[in-house]
Amino acid sequence: MDDDDYYFDESDGEYGGSSYSLEEDHGDDLNDLLVEEPIEKIWTTASVISAESLLAAQKEVLQNVMSLLLINEQQARSLLIYYRWNVQKVYDSFERKGKEPLFQEAGVVISDDRDLDILGSSTAVITCNVCFEDVAVLDATKMDCGHLFCNDCWTQNFIIRIKDGERTIRCMDTKCNAICDDVIIRNLVSRKDPCLAERFERFLLESYVEDNDNIKWCPSNPHCGNAIRVDGSNVFEVECICGFQFCFNCSLEAHSPCSCQMWKLWVQKCGDESGNTDWIIVNTKPCPKCKKLVEKNGGCNLVRCRCDQHFCWLCGGACGAEHTWSTIAGHTCNSFTQEKEMNFLAVKQRLQRYMHYFNRYMTHADSLKKENTLNENIQRKISESENKNSVIKDYSWVLDGSRQLLRSRRVLKYTYPLAFYVFGDELFKDKMTPEEKEIKQHLFEDLQQQLETNVERLSMYIEKDFYDFNDEQVMELKYQVVNLNRVVNKFCGQMYKYIEDDLLEPMKHAVHRIAPYSSGGPNMLLQPSSSSGNSGDS
Amino acid sequence: MLDVSRVQKELAECNRDTAISGVSIALHDGGSDLSRLSGTISGPVATPYEGGTFQIDIRLPSGYPFEPPKMQFVTKVWHPNISSQNGAICLDILKDQWSPALTLKTALLSLQALLSAPEPDDPQDAVVAQQYLRDHQTFMATARYWTEAFARRSSVGIEEKVQKLVEMGFPEDLVRSTLESVNGDENQALEMLCSS
Ligand SMILES: [Zn+2]
Ligand SMILES: [Zn+2]
Ligand SMILES: [Zn+2]
Ligand SMILES: [Zn+2]
Ligand SMILES: [Zn+2]
Ligand SMILES: [Zn+2]
Ligand SMILES: [Zn+2]
Repeated sequence: MDDDDYYFDESDGEYGGSSYSLEEDHGDDLNDLLVEEPIEKIWTTASVISAESLLAAQKEVLQNVMSLLLINEQQARSLLIYYRWNVQKVYDSFERKGKEPLFQEAGVVISDDRDLDILGSSTAVITCNVCFEDVAVLDATKMDCGHLFCNDCWTQNFIIRIKDGERTIRCMDTKCNAICDDVIIRNLVSRKDPCLAERFERFLLESYVEDNDNIKWCPSNPHCGNAIRVDGSNVFEVECICGFQFCFNCSLEAHSPCSCQMWKLWVQKCGDESGNTDWIIVNTKPCPKCKKLVEKNGGCNLVRCRCDQHFCWLCGGACGAEHTWSTIAGHTCNSFTQEKEMNFLAVKQRLQRYMHYFNRYMTHADSLKKENTLNENIQRKISESENKNSVIKDYSWVLDGSRQLLRSRRVLKYTYPLAFYVFGDELFKDKMTPEEKEIKQHLFEDLQQQLETNVERLSMYIEKDFYDFNDEQVMELKYQVVNLNRVVNKFCGQMYKYIEDDLLEPMKHAVHRIAPYSSGGPNMLLQPSSSSGNSGDS
Repeated sequence: MLDVSRVQKELAECNRDTAISGVSIALHDGGSDLSRLSGTISGPVATPYEGGTFQIDIRLPSGYPFEPPKMQFVTKVWHPNISSQNGAICLDILKDQWSPALTLKTALLSLQALLSAPEPDDPQDAVVAQQYLRDHQTFMATARYWTEAFARRSSVGIEEKVQKLVEMGFPEDLVRSTLESVNGDENQALEMLCSS
């Protein structure tokens, strides 16, 4: 294959020769190749909430609700936890139902007089309805709902609830739906168990992430402390500022164009289980004497177990050692029935199919690892080049190319599990007619193969030790890298489009929606500015 | 951790008006462990459970009364909300609707109310619930038969009744003679003992 072959279209022959311009802009024709197609219809935005800005972000939402409904922070928090921190839902309910039902449903009690009228004198005594003891009113607490119990009982109840991981603790009275004031909870609990009171406070803070459909912790391990907010579609890939790229929907590593469900199944399969079971069925047989699994290593059909028992590989029956290539002395394989053989062949085919996809998947995973290392060293190469006595000072194209290489390699890697499921029987049995499947698989593999070819080429150029190059060679390399960057990007876009429109869309399987392709890779998030906090009003 | 003082008060309070309420609580097997109790409810009148005495196993978790008591019918009973296999009960106040301000007595009274008013839409025993809805006559007959077969007072051993009444604080001799005079009717004996 010569250098021209990597173009996906024969018509652009003029770029294949050596008469190219060294301008930044390679002309309109090249740009024409990159007609951006809108793939995702839902506008999605994402942002990082660092551990430090979590409190501020939560406060801002609380403030919103407090000033709209004229309630205090505890009440606003209870309301927001009930509505999963969705301010819009609070507003909608407020408009639709009115203030009273809104509060009542969420267990928020607004009482105008919090003075405990029965506490006329400090020596008054009441009977607590939980411990049945008489206690001084000074040792009892009345919640906003008006229910009064002794402090010991309140405290014990709070401790048990907090240890259960509850963030909203209801009043102890029968049929009372009211949520207890978290300030009172913290005060009472801290007298007996300050650590637990702190844990409760942390619960309340983390509720903003954990009870919130739009925010998730970054799944990096060890945890970087950041949370990610996504507004719009959940099927979205992000890169946390810690560098971890993940799928917001399933919190696993970014895996598009594989759907979340496919990826989960694939990870399970590769982590042995089913894949391995098939391998065992195909490649091993139990010894008829000691029952240990024996693996066949090529050769004739007579195998010998470590216990010295010989047996026939075809039927698994015990036999003597005397044999030729095709027969075993005194042994006829009559128990190896037609049915068994068919079964065995089906398993074998299934395994071969899996191994086909798995091997290619692993090849790209390995390349990705190497190219990651390459990418880490590229800055050093650039520095070396920049210090050379040369007019060329801009090497950003290498960085761009390397990043695109990683991006596309990832895409390629995940197209194999995707194809395994889309063209297999596990998830989509009988979803396509055999003819339809053949055509689609052919088109898909064609696209995959073209992408593969160009990714390998890009990889080859990125790998070059360009600091040893003269200017002309550098410019030649730059042209190839810039060119391939665009070509590969375009193929990735086409690949996603084909997968979405022609493979997944006709299946009518909403669960298999995939994150949209963007040339930069998963949405790279920026360090949050400390002042802006985080707008939570959506 | 178990609030012993509260449990003791509950026992005393509950057994004070057993004759009227039709529910009573005793220590399990006459032991001394306050976390294992045995409840008794009499079948409500005008139901197929009338005339029956139902024994309920009560276990108190260490977090009681902040966590609900665990209750299970020991006496076999044919009812949509009670498992005919193991006596497990489907009742909201024994689960998420429990409140520390409720008591064992209120829980037992709720069970009694459940016997009067089954809730077949939230069944514990699907077979019984189906029958209750589709073939009410057979349901009534089966429930009545089960009451006769498993929950008749006479089927409860006399020694158990003596023990229970003694635990309530009556002298054993008096208990025995009173029980004898009413042909072993526990509730009637209790009534007499209380009024004497
Ligand atoms: Zn109390
Ligand atoms: Zn209350
Ligand atoms: Zn992170
Ligand atoms: Zn996912
Ligand atoms: Zn062997
Ligand atoms: Zn051989
Ligand atoms: Zn054989």
